[in-house]
Amino acid sequence: MATSSGPVEPVGPVGPAAVISGHQDFYPALLEAPDSIHLLLEITTAFVVKWLAAQEAVDGPFKRIAIADYNDNKKEGIGMKKKAGKELNRRTFIKTSGAIGLGLAASSFGVPTLLRAAPTKIKIGSIQPVTGPLAVIGQGQRKANIMAARQINAAGGIKSMGGAQLELLLGDSESKPEVGRQEADRLIKDGAVVLQGPFQSGTAMAIATLAEQRQVPFVMDVAALDAITQKGYQYSFRVFITAKGLVGGAIKYLKQVTEMKGVMPKTAVVTNTADPFGKGMSGGFLKGLEKSGFPIKIIDRIQYPLGIQDLSTEVAKIKSLKPDLIFPVSRPGDSVILTRELYKQRVPLMGIFCPGSPGWYEPHVVKDLDKLILYVLVNVPWVNPNSTVYQKANAAFYKAYNQILDTNSAYAYTGTLVIADAIERAGSARADDIVAALKKTNFKDHPVVGGPVQFNEKGDNIGAMTALIQVQKDPDYLKRVKIVMPKEFAQSDEIVFPAPPLWER
Amino acid sequence: MDPHYLLQLAIQGILLGGLYGLIAVGLSLIFGVMGIINFAHGQMMVMGMYVSYWIFVLLGIDPYLSLIVVAAVIFVLGYLVQATVVNRILDYPEAMQVLPLVAVGLVLENTALLLWGPDYRSPQTALSLETLWIGPVMIDVSRLIAFVLAILITTGIFVFLKKTRTGKRIRAASDNRMGAILVGINVNRINNASFGLGAAATGAAGALLLPLMPLSPHMGHDFTLTAFIVVILGGMGNLIGALAGGLILGVAESLSALFLPATLKQVVSFSILIIIMLFRPQGLFAGKK
Repeated sequence: MATSSGPVEPVGPVGPAAVISGHQDFYPALLEAPDSIHLLLEITTAFVVKWLAAQEAVDGPFKRIAIADYNDNKKEGIGMKKKAGKELNRRTFIKTSGAIGLGLAASSFGVPTLLRAAPTKIKIGSIQPVTGPLAVIGQGQRKANIMAARQINAAGGIKSMGGAQLELLLGDSESKPEVGRQEADRLIKDGAVVLQGPFQSGTAMAIATLAEQRQVPFVMDVAALDAITQKGYQYSFRVFITAKGLVGGAIKYLKQVTEMKGVMPKTAVVTNTADPFGKGMSGGFLKGLEKSGFPIKIIDRIQYPLGIQDLSTEVAKIKSLKPDLIFPVSRPGDSVILTRELYKQRVPLMGIFCPGSPGWYEPHVVKDLDKLILYVLVNVPWVNPNSTVYQKANAAFYKAYNQILDTNSAYAYTGTLVIADAIERAGSARADDIVAALKKTNFKDHPVVGGPVQFNEKGDNIGAMTALIQVQKDPDYLKRVKIVMPKEFAQSDEIVFPAPPLWER
Repeated sequence: MDPHYLLQLAIQGILLGGLYGLIAVGLSLIFGVMGIINFAHGQMMVMGMYVSYWIFVLLGIDPYLSLIVVAAVIFVLGYLVQATVVNRILDYPEAMQVLPLVAVGLVLENTALLLWGPDYRSPQTALSLETLWIGPVMIDVSRLIAFVLAILITTGIFVFLKKTRTGKRIRAASDNRMGAILVGINVNRINNASFGLGAAATGAAGALLLPLMPLSPHMGHDFTLTAFIVVILGGMGNLIGALAGGLILGVAESLSALFLPATLKQVVSFSILIIIMLFRPQGLFAGKK
C-alpha cells in the first residue's frame, strides 16, 4: 500500500486554530469572543476535512479513524467527559464543529493505511547546561545525547515501531533552573515525547514538576539531590545516583578500605567549599558518618568560599589539629591549592579521602599535581572502562568530538539508551506507554559502574552505585586514575593506604 | 594555643600582604597619574598569568625568568587600551568612565575563555613547591620571591617617576594637564605610556602569582576587588601606601583564622575598609594629594 504521504501525525482543527490565533490569545478568546473562535474553527475544520480527502485520494478509503482527546489532568478526565457538552474542552469543539481529529491508532490490526503509519521521528528533548558556568559539562552531555541517538538511528532506529528514528530536540538551560524549565516547556510544545537532562538538581526539580503537569516522561541522566524523586511524581526517572547513595558509598568504602588494610584512622578534618554543593555534600557525609557509627572523630570542619585563591592559613590550622585523614569536598581549583599547601607545610596524614566531589580525577589536575595527587581515594560515580559498551562509546566519542567520555557524558549517553530501550519495549511514543515501559526497565548494556538500570517506585535507579578510585603511579598521566572498588569493576588490585607522606614520593 | 601556629600565621600574613600589595600597585599607579580606576585591572593580571603560563608550557621558561617579557606584552596591551578607549573618556564624569573599562575587562575575560577554556590550570614550576624552614615554621619560597619583587617593582616605579625625564613628564601631565600640553608634552602619548606602565606592573604581578594559584579566566574580579580594597586602605594613587595597605590586609586576614571561620575572612577585609572610609577616607598614607 502506498504511503507516499508519509507518516500521519495527529491533526485536528483546534491545533491549527490555536496556532493561527496564537496560543496565548486562543484560550481567553474561547470565553471572550466565542463567535470568532467558531468562525476560525469552521475554517480549520474545513481544512482538515479537505486534507483527509486528499489522504484518501492517495491511500484509499479509511477503515478506522481514532479520535484524539486529552485532558491536562487525568483524574478529572472522566468527569470532564461527562460534562463534555458544557465544558469548553477540546472534545467539545471537535464534536460541535463536527470535525474529525486524528490520532495514532492503538491497534494495527486491519488498518492498512493511514493509521498504521508509525511516526518515523520520535522527538526527545535534551536539556543541558550548554552555556554559563557549567558549559563544559553541559556540552559534553549534549554531545553524548546526540551520539547515542545517532548510533540508535544508524542501527535501525526503534524496531518495534517500524524503524522509527529518534530526533533530539536541543534545549539549553544556561545553567539556570528557570531557563531549564522554559526550555523544557518549549521542547514539549515542539513535540518532545520524552525529556532528558539536566545535570543541575535545581533544574531537574523544575523540569520534573513541569513533566508531571504535562504528563511527559522525564529521564534524568545526571542530578543527585534526593528531594527530586521524593514527591511521588509518576513521570520522573533518575539514572544517576542519589546524594544519599553517594554518601552511603563513601562510608561503605571507607569501612572496607580500613578493614582490609587493618589501619584505623582516629581523627579527621572535613574541608568544603561554602557553596550549596559543598555544604550539602559535606553536611550529608557528616550526618551519614555519625549515623553509621564508624569510629572516627571529626575534629573540625573547615569551610571556605568557592574560588578561594589562598589556603595557607586553613592548612596551618589543619596542621595544628594533627588529623589522620582529610575528607575534602572541593572543586578543581581549590583541590590543587589545598594539596600543594599540605605539601609545603609538611602536614603528616594517612591520606586524603574525598567523599564525592570534583577536583581529584580531572586530567588537568592529575597532570598539574603529579606526585602529590597520588594515592588520593575518591568515592564517585564512574565509568566502567572494562565494559565493551564504554570502550566503543568512548572511541566513537573521541573520534567525533576529540574528547574522552567522562562520567557525566557517560551517564548522559546511558540516559538516551534507557529512553530508547523503553520506547522499543513500549512500541509506542505515547507518554503512558513509555512510562509503563520505563517502570519495567532492566537495562544492562550501559557504560558506567553499577548494576542493571532498574527504577524503584520513586523513579530512582536501584542499580546506580559509586566506585572507589585511586590515583596510582603510571607513566601516562591519563591512565593514573584507577577503579579499586568494587572488585568486579576494579582496574587495580592494589590499594595504597595509608599513603606515604606527600614529601617522600 | 600552639605558638608555632601563631608565628606561622603571622609570617603567612606578611607574605600574603606582599602579594596583595603587588596586586594593587598597578591600579594605584594608573589612578595616581590619570585619576582613572582601571576596572579591567584583575583581567589584565589574569592575562599576565596566561602569557606567563603559555611561555612556561610552550617554551619551558620559568615564570620568574619570563617576567620582563610578560610585563612588556601587558605594557603593549595597556598602551593600546589607553590609546583606543581611555583617552576618549578622560574628561567624562566618573560614572561614565566605569563602563568602558568594565567592558574591556569582559572582553579580556572572554578572550581568555576562548583561547584557554574554562579549566583551572596550575603547572608545577621549578620553585612552586619549594619551602624554607626556620625550626617548625615554614616560609613559602614563591611567596617570598613575590614579596621581595613586589617591593622592588614598587620602588622601581617610584624611582622612575621621581628621577627620569619620562617620569617627570608623567607627573607633570598628572599634575596639570593643560600646563603640560602648553610646555610641549604630548600628553596623550604620556598617558598611553603611564597606563602601559601600570598594566605592565599588573602583568608582572600576574606572572609572580602563577606558581601560587591555579589559573582560570574568571578569577579577575576577585583581583580587582582585592586591589581596590588595598588601594583605598593605603590611599588612592600612593604606591608605598598600596604596599603598606596590602601588608595590613594580609596580616589581618591571616590572623583572623584564629577566631573566625575562613568563610568570614572577607568580613575582616571589608570591615577594615568600612572603618577606613569612615575615619580616614583619603586612606592611611595619603598626604599631599
